[in-house]
Amino acid sequence: MTPRSVLIVGESLAGTTAARELRALGHTGPVTIIGAEPHGAYSRPPLSKAVLRDPGADDALFQDLDGLDIHIVRSAATAADTSRRTVTTTDGREFRYDALIIATGAEARRLAAPGRRGELVLRTLDDARLLRSRLETAASAIVVGAGFLGMEVAGACAARGVPVTVVDVHRPLERILGGYLSAALTARAEAYGISCVQTFGFAVPTGDPVRGVMLPGGTELTADLVVTCAGETPCTDWLAGTGLAGQLGVGIDETCATAVPGVFAAGDVTHLRADDIGPDRRAPFWSNAVAQGKVAAASALGLAPTGTPYDDYFWTEVAGLALKVVGPLPLTGEPTTVEGSVENGRALLTWKRPDGPSTVVAYGMRKPIKALRALAEAGEHSASR
Amino acid sequence: MQISVDHARCEGHGLCADQAPEVFSLDDDAELTYHFDGADVPDEHRSAARVAVNVCPVAALRVLP
Ligand SMILES: Cc1cc2nc3c(=O)[nH]c(=O)nc-3n(C[C@H](O)[C@H](O)[C@H](O)COP(=O)(O)OP(=O)(O)OC[C@H]3O[C@@H](n4cnc5c(N)ncnc54)[C@H](O)[C@@H]3O)c2cc1C
Ligand code: SF4
Repeated sequence: MTPRSVLIVGESLAGTTAARELRALGHTGPVTIIGAEPHGAYSRPPLSKAVLRDPGADDALFQDLDGLDIHIVRSAATAADTSRRTVTTTDGREFRYDALIIATGAEARRLAAPGRRGELVLRTLDDARLLRSRLETAASAIVVGAGFLGMEVAGACAARGVPVTVVDVHRPLERILGGYLSAALTARAEAYGISCVQTFGFAVPTGDPVRGVMLPGGTELTADLVVTCAGETPCTDWLAGTGLAGQLGVGIDETCATAVPGVFAAGDVTHLRADDIGPDRRAPFWSNAVAQGKVAAASALGLAPTGTPYDDYFWTEVAGLALKVVGPLPLTGEPTTVEGSVENGRALLTWKRPDGPSTVVAYGMRKPIKALRALAEAGEHSASR
Repeated sequence: MQISVDHARCEGHGLCADQAPEVFSLDDDAELTYHFDGADVPDEHRSAARVAVNVCPVAALRVLP
């Protein structure tokens, strides 16, 4: 293995996983991570769950890279020059690399007109702290977007006794989890104190500071807090002029290689380029960032990756109920109930597919990934037990 | 190298066991077992164990200084 200097941009899950993997693969050459956040690396999933409820949860989020001999630079990357193989940071420094791993993730999409104050989003620890403190005094909240993040934020509002309305053109979680789970989860959410409103067009934040949303029919809803949970935008401004990034982020192949030699990418900043399995697609989830961080590290060292750049494990929390999912999404139609019942809030469900792996959902049930995977692979067989 | 496990925080995802099956395992109810409790993680499993600590989404695992 030739000693090469590896530069990672983005100090979060994909970046730190890549850094660890470089060392695990025996790389002894220089590794530098450039990160924009003063806090360093921390885990995001708890931000919309435990952190909104309990200030004590903050301390346990941080991840360290001790003992791995990694040079950490805390200053945002502002430009990359892929022919000279350099990256420049806000503080004016320039870093050379032999291999570059792009892991700058994504930022929250905002809906309010630029310059309008008061629209809340949730992506960073600072966002979570601000929202948590606002929840202390708020008498009402509106969440725009009934996807995973929106439903988690709404659940936190309700758990803290703040009446909350979620607005979306789709029914809660329907786009990904399908009609069956959406109906069950919406009923649960309503009983938990979350009011779900389906609109026939996009809601637009109103006021400055933002204090409401205008619905397509001309009705305005107002609340003390408006939290936009309308997806994320890959952080690629610093790659301007390199041709590496488009609307969906940085395109990668099975080896996490980009279109430019010596440049790899991992995590929420990426999309998988179209292949035999499907079209260009983003999958901005935890397990994917881990899988891609590892693959990108191997590729950066010129080794053949041992894993794939995707992992279909996903979990979320809806109105206090834990949901764990393994297998392809979106879901359509009715599942087979393997164990328990959805009505009782505890069930193991499978969606069979004629031509491939099933999707398995642990609904309010503690099941490890391995058990879910075994069931997904066994498909037909276990599901009919 | 030793690892501390915060069992109260653990949500039983099993991502740690995916990364380091020799170090962590989960039973059918997703209760976590750490195989080297009170002992040093053997050299050959250290880097996998570090990756496992990194991937736990609720930071229930810590490498002790
Ligand atoms: C509130 C919330 C809850 C979530 N819950 C779940 C969940 O329950 N289950 C699940 O599977 N996934 C969940 N996710 C998604 C999961 O957290 C992400 O998939 C994961 O964080 C992706 O890691 P990443 O390293 O690719 O990107 P990120 O975590 O976005 O990190 C990218 C890092 O790069 C930095 N950066 C950006 N631009 C620059 C620059 N120019 N220079 C230097 N650094 C830069 C950013 O500051 C950031 O620190 C959640 C996400 C959020 C926000
Ligand atoms: S990854 Fe974390 S939460 Fe999941 S089983 Fe391991 S320790 Fe528990």
